[in-house]
Amino acid sequence: MNKTYDIVIAGAGVIGASCAYQLSKRGNLRIALIDDKRPGNATRASAGGLWAIGESVGLGCGVIFFRMLSSQAKRQAHGAAVAVDSSTPHILPQCFFELALQSNALYPQLHQELIERHGMDFKFERTGLKYVIQDDEDQLYAEHIVRHIPHLQAQVRWLDRKALRETEPAVTDQANGALEFLCDHQVSPYRLGDAYMEAARQNGVDLYLNTPVTGVLHQGGRVKGVRTAQAGDFHCNTLINAAGAWAAELSEWATGLSIPVKPVKGQIVLTERLPKLLNGCITTSDCYMAQKDNGEILIGSTTEEKGYDVTTTFPEISSLVQGATRCVPALADVNLKRTWAGLRPGSPDELPILGPVDDMPGYFNACGHFRTGILTSAITGVMLDKVIHDEALPLDITPFLARRFHKVATPA
Amino acid sequence: MSMRPVIVGGGSAGMAAAIELANEGVGSVLIDEASRPGGVVFRGPLRGGVDVGYLGARYSKALGKLHADFATCARHIDLRLNSRVVGADNQSLMMLDEQEQLQPVGYEQLVLAAGCHERNVPFPGWTLPGVMLLGGLQLQIKSNVVKPLGRTLIAGTGPLLPLVACQLHAAGAKVTGVFEACAFSRIARETLALMNKPQLFLDGLSMLGYLKLHGIPMHYGWGVVAARGEGELSEVSVAPYDQAWQADLKRVQRESVQTLAVGYGFIPRTQLSQQLGLAHGYSADGYLRAECNAWQQSNVPHIHLAGDMAGIRGGEAAMLTGRIAAVSILHQRGVLNAEQAIERRERYLGQLAGIGRFRSGVERYTARGPAQVELPQADTVICRCEQVTREAIDLALQQGVQDMAGLKMRTRVSMGDCQGRMCVGYCSDRLRAATGRADVGWLRPRFPVDPVPFSAFKHLGTEA
Repeated sequence: MNKTYDIVIAGAGVIGASCAYQLSKRGNLRIALIDDKRPGNATRASAGGLWAIGESVGLGCGVIFFRMLSSQAKRQAHGAAVAVDSSTPHILPQCFFELALQSNALYPQLHQELIERHGMDFKFERTGLKYVIQDDEDQLYAEHIVRHIPHLQAQVRWLDRKALRETEPAVTDQANGALEFLCDHQVSPYRLGDAYMEAARQNGVDLYLNTPVTGVLHQGGRVKGVRTAQAGDFHCNTLINAAGAWAAELSEWATGLSIPVKPVKGQIVLTERLPKLLNGCITTSDCYMAQKDNGEILIGSTTEEKGYDVTTTFPEISSLVQGATRCVPALADVNLKRTWAGLRPGSPDELPILGPVDDMPGYFNACGHFRTGILTSAITGVMLDKVIHDEALPLDITPFLARRFHKVATPA
Repeated sequence: MSMRPVIVGGGSAGMAAAIELANEGVGSVLIDEASRPGGVVFRGPLRGGVDVGYLGARYSKALGKLHADFATCARHIDLRLNSRVVGADNQSLMMLDEQEQLQPVGYEQLVLAAGCHERNVPFPGWTLPGVMLLGGLQLQIKSNVVKPLGRTLIAGTGPLLPLVACQLHAAGAKVTGVFEACAFSRIARETLALMNKPQLFLDGLSMLGYLKLHGIPMHYGWGVVAARGEGELSEVSVAPYDQAWQADLKRVQRESVQTLAVGYGFIPRTQLSQQLGLAHGYSADGYLRAECNAWQQSNVPHIHLAGDMAGIRGGEAAMLTGRIAAVSILHQRGVLNAEQAIERRERYLGQLAGIGRFRSGVERYTARGPAQVELPQADTVICRCEQVTREAIDLALQQGVQDMAGLKMRTRVSMGDCQGRMCVGYCSDRLRAATGRADVGWLRPRFPVDPVPFSAFKHLGTEA
């Protein structure tokens, strides 16, 4: 029953599958991709935005996160919640911009490659992302964003009221305008996950689905495999932790050190199929909206710390519905088809956790991707493939190492 | 103990539960999506002045009695018609009311009696206009009082086939033949079990006599293979089925018809019981259903299941399980003491036992043959909402997809408006055959159970 591989990847979400795909292209590695379907899997639950700038400046999924942080901070300070205020920036560090933008740039080629070589289409669409400005607060926030990204001016465009009406006629005429991020696009997230996984399988990767990992094997001070109930022990030289919202436990087993990955719940609303209503992806300070390739509009999303709970709750769903209808009034006459909740693998600094861990050879992290796992899956696969093989990396991995959480504070 | 018990579904089970409660002076809220209570069995004609004599004297009498009993309890029952329960959590239901507005309905105790839906069996041409499900066709002659045009062929399995054939004929429709998938010898083998309900057994025999008398042929061990037509149904192919329901394509016969009614059984509705997170299990027939105890209680004791939702047993059993659920609630509310409740429950359970043995006999002879899933061709649509073909499902299985969630992501089956009600039976059968596992997952229905307009949220609170 025992199996031997060069590389075992725990977790076949978009991150694990991307790593499997990149590694499988070498052609000389025995790779096992092990997955256990658990409620809340973020790849299946995600919206599929490739919002490289949008997410880096705290829009998209992040705008709601920011609002939550901001109101929490204000509540603590003043005992009452207040709306977003532009004086508290929520712009991610430069290293994240680089990761996000490099990853984003990989998609057109990856899309081509997965269709041509593997017959899998993850529906990459060039959409842009428009931050619709509905009040003065939004305007201040948009200006604040633009001031912080002078190096990306070529990718940013202001739309006045008239220009917004022309490109997005369905957006309310109450909107003052929009800030558009030209390089932010979208994919179908579950098709992306399936495309990586099927391509990896075609390249010879063995899939073990519905197979929970129950422990990590060690030998001679290094990780040597994983234990499963269904498929026995897997021996390997390299273990990749791509366990999404469940990564902390696996890290604990493998290294004895915990990593601060926590499930962050997001609820999402989906409309019935519609004729083209939105020309690009939209974000407001209430929600984001993305009309997918099949005509459904996906509206997200909440940011909640509720452990592994994936129930949908009526007040939160109602907020998303009302936020979306405020920006796109025609939605009032549309049917809501489905709602669901996913679990983002949240990390405290919103940066993913990548690469090796001190003093535990044979173990690599590819986790903590929070709200940008779809976007950064492409570069994560490339980085892991290279870091495992000690090859030059496309960007500095230092800010993403787990070490950042385990530094012992030295007295000044 | 201020809130009233809430009953979801005003069919046989839900009405019986409401009546049982009302007889003890306990008021309830009864929610049903139709404009009249009664469910698919006892809704009766939706317009007045109709003589439903063609449905049989015994049926007309039962229909009359149920509605009369219900009417005498009316002051205890808060009846919400044209209202759909589209979501649920452990404190309240979310109801889309007559004005298409969402409103929460709190409950102290709950009876889920939402019934079942028909099992769709895909075959080439099954989506043509003119091909219907048997229960749907019966509902048309019962409640909309509309009969099918032209010649009708009935194919499927189980006692509903001859019943609907008789009712159609009595209503003046032309029935060309009834094709029961199971061989006659297998039904005969169940005679003892079927004799547990002597009246039903006799009714069955008299139906067969009626069909014979009127020259409607009853074919045993035959099933549907394909339907054809330009834009609408004009021809149905049938063939002998072997034990495994493998169709013998060398002996196909073609029948010229305008309507094909297909009835290969039912699947409990589990959308709400799953949303409530209740414990579920699989039946011998392979469908998912919520589990319940002798009190009709789910694993959450104040949430009850009644009728076909807890497993397919038909209208008479539905009334008894509805009554038992009500007895449990009466006990939970302190209206009956333990002794009284058990005494009454045992009486209903006694009546249920005979039905149980009868149903087991029916279930054995109507057990689906595993080969029927081979009827669709590569380009036959399996998921109607998303237009997913058999070919796409075959490819996904070849690529190693192993469970419902994986199949859904790979092919988009069940991502449409019906949330998989139509294709789940076929997909589950294929996955179980491909993986050799009994549990391949089931669809996880989400809020809302049926699509709801965004405008329905207008008066609902938000998180802010």
